[in-house]
Amino acid sequence: MIKIENVSKSYVKGKKSIDDLNLEIKNGEIFGFLGPNGAGKTTTIKMITGILNPDEGDILIDDKSITKQPLEAKKQFGFVPDSPDMFLKLKGIEYLNFLADIYEVPNDVRKEKIEGLTKKFEIYDDLNSEIQSYSHGMRQKIVICGVLLNNPKNWILDEPMTGLDPKSSHDLKEMMREHCKNGNTVFFSTHVLEVAEKLCDRVGIINKGKLVFVGTFEEMQNKFKENKSLEDLFLEITENEE
Amino acid sequence: MKSKVLVLSKVILKNSFQNMETAKDVNSNKKSKSMIILYIFIFLYLAGIVGVFSNSLVSELLKIHQEKMFLGIILLAIAGFVLIQSIFSAINLLYYSKDNEYILPLPLKPSQIVIAKTNVLLVTEYFIVAIIGLIPLTIYGILTYANILYYIEMLIVLLVFPIVPVLISSLLVLIVMSFAKFTKNRNRFQLIATILILVIVFVASFAMGNTDSSPEELVQMVMKANGMVELVKNAFPTLGMAIESLTNINIGIQLLNIMLLIATTAIIYALYVLVGQKLYLKGAVGNLSSGKKNKKKIDEKKAFKNSTIFKTYIGKEFKILLRNPIFFMQCVLPAIIFPILIIGMTILGINEENNGQTIDFASMFINKTSIYIGVGILCVIQFFLMFIYISATAISRDGQNAIFMKYIPVKYIKQIDYKVMPNIIMTSIMSIITVIIAEILIKVDILYLLLILITSIIMGVFQSYILIIVDLKKPKLEWNSEYAVVKQNMNLIWPAVIGLVSITLLIILGIVFGNILNSFIFTGIIAFVYLLVTIITRNYINNNINKLMEKIY
Ligand SMILES: Nc1ncnc2c1ncn2[C@@H]1O[C@H](COP(=O)(O)OP(=O)(O)OP(=O)(O)O)[C@@H](O)[C@H]1O
Ligand SMILES: [Mg+2]
Repeated sequence: MIKIENVSKSYVKGKKSIDDLNLEIKNGEIFGFLGPNGAGKTTTIKMITGILNPDEGDILIDDKSITKQPLEAKKQFGFVPDSPDMFLKLKGIEYLNFLADIYEVPNDVRKEKIEGLTKKFEIYDDLNSEIQSYSHGMRQKIVICGVLLNNPKNWILDEPMTGLDPKSSHDLKEMMREHCKNGNTVFFSTHVLEVAEKLCDRVGIINKGKLVFVGTFEEMQNKFKENKSLEDLFLEITENEE
Repeated sequence: MKSKVLVLSKVILKNSFQNMETAKDVNSNKKSKSMIILYIFIFLYLAGIVGVFSNSLVSELLKIHQEKMFLGIILLAIAGFVLIQSIFSAINLLYYSKDNEYILPLPLKPSQIVIAKTNVLLVTEYFIVAIIGLIPLTIYGILTYANILYYIEMLIVLLVFPIVPVLISSLLVLIVMSFAKFTKNRNRFQLIATILILVIVFVASFAMGNTDSSPEELVQMVMKANGMVELVKNAFPTLGMAIESLTNINIGIQLLNIMLLIATTAIIYALYVLVGQKLYLKGAVGNLSSGKKNKKKIDEKKAFKNSTIFKTYIGKEFKILLRNPIFFMQCVLPAIIFPILIIGMTILGINEENNGQTIDFASMFINKTSIYIGVGILCVIQFFLMFIYISATAISRDGQNAIFMKYIPVKYIKQIDYKVMPNIIMTSIMSIITVIIAEILIKVDILYLLLILITSIIMGVFQSYILIIVDLKKPKLEWNSEYAVVKQNMNLIWPAVIGLVSITLLIILGIVFGNILNSFIFTGIIAFVYLLVTIITRNYINNNINKLMEKIY
């Protein structure tokens, strides 16, 4: 469960990049975070994960405040950043072992976990190479594998589908569904509206730092009383908010 | 064509310097003003030290009518510094910089790219020249009552003289790197190439500096007013012209020499561009920084071992340091190479002047536990510490990955402890090497030496913690070449500042207490003081950790 309470943030004084954001993602829910470039998606995710401190408000992950009990809160989630270029000089296997050590993945399940995940994403044979030699998609995959190692309850992913081939993207979506079925939470940002429509239980649309819509796709259609496609609705919502 | 080169140079330069001050700062205006004042202060301090040093050296040389030798020393130092520095810069700028990905597809001639990149190299070197050239030469002018012509020519010389060393290094790089495409492991190749070029430069400079004159001739030279400068004049191709243009009594010859200097430089530049454009694209530009691809699968028995966070974190730091050739060369190598190289060269140099007779250093110090030995060794170690950048770049080296520190469930202060570890280890190794060399040379009392070693290691720990504060306060996280972190980074003035302040303090304390205190007690007190400041520094980090980490996002 992720709870964002009255959060505001400005990089530059007087210009709010996030303006009084309130959001609650319940257990067992896949939440899609949509919005045009520069809307504030990455900024929000950085605050949820403790990379940025909110100027106002607080964020709770499984009831642990990221500002007040950072260590406890950080144990509750796995995070895939928007750039997959993580520690390019490490070999794949070294990177995964490093994360497993940090998150204290026990020795007996480690091997099985790493093998299972990397074989599923078809990067097992490349584990002995430096990540720098990986393609964009492969880098994305190893970061995702790293996150899933310790089975975090909350998944937070910033544009996880970019660069993935159709099969991997399909697999990831399947894993997200599976994860939620077990009562866990997935929060991810994306630009691919079809993914959001098919996969998410609810979506949030943010524009210029303000949340302009939260709810299911049907609710969105009802609200505007139009039987338009998600794309048309999205364009309409983000344009009206001038 | 000209304007294209100019635009390209500007873009590359801007790009590489963009992060000298962080655009990210929230209230940047107020902060950057105080930063500027601070930098001016630091610059004045460095300038002051260079100034005092030059002043006393010129005065001494004037007494024995060898003041021209000073120009020889300074210009030679500039040539040497620029030569070595631009080996590193040239490799990185020409072959490893990320902007190649954008520049190479543009419709530009190879010659234009080479010229633009060389211009950038030059501009970078002028910063060094400004510090080690401008002030000493001005002081020389003042002390020798030079006229206005001297100062004009001085500026021309300082502008023109560093060009040839840059071209030489850059050309060597172009030649060696054109073999790069034949290698598989390019990271290792770069490392070997750099060390190879360094060796070439050192051997060549030794060969050139070796005057094959008999002892009598040498004596004659030294006896003649300003004869000593003849010793170094041929050590670098354009050095003679530069010195003559500044010092010849005949204005005509002065002007002739300055013209000669400019003409020679221009010819070498033209030749360089001619050869350079042919070599540049032949070398494996662009795809050099590919990672190591290993066909072999992982060893299933060994691959999945777990270890403590302490070990795994420090292991990760070391792996990135060692596998990245630029970080390795700029952060790790100096710790080992500098003591050996500099101490070795000094001994060689002294012995050469003594016509090959080895000096018995050991006999120079009768008292094996003298305070001055301790102060001397500590100062030398502190001097070497100024070139170890591991801690000063610990955060910046991670670049965009630095945010990793913030979302993993490991306490910040612990991560800082892990991050300074490589610096502590490397400075300790450096201390040990230096102390061993000192023991061989002057056979210091072994217990005393041990105390000095411990003190120097504490010095290294202090350095490690204080410098990570510098990096935390102004991390350089958005870079497009590793080079930007280890070279075009204003933070790296701090190791020098801290080093020079420490050395100044050590010397003053040594002079003040030299005759009062027992050397063991004296060194013990120094060690204790360093320990105290180290603890205070770490406490400061611990108490302000959240604030210090705010710049990482
Ligand atoms: N480091 C920074 N310094 C200053 N402003 C920033 C910084 N990072 C982001 N911003 C500003 O904050 C706003 C939100 O940016 P953010 O990166 O959160 O957008 P986003 O929704 O993730 O966009 P995208 O879809 O392009 O990833 C933008 O207006 C951006 O200009
Ligand atoms: Mg984003």
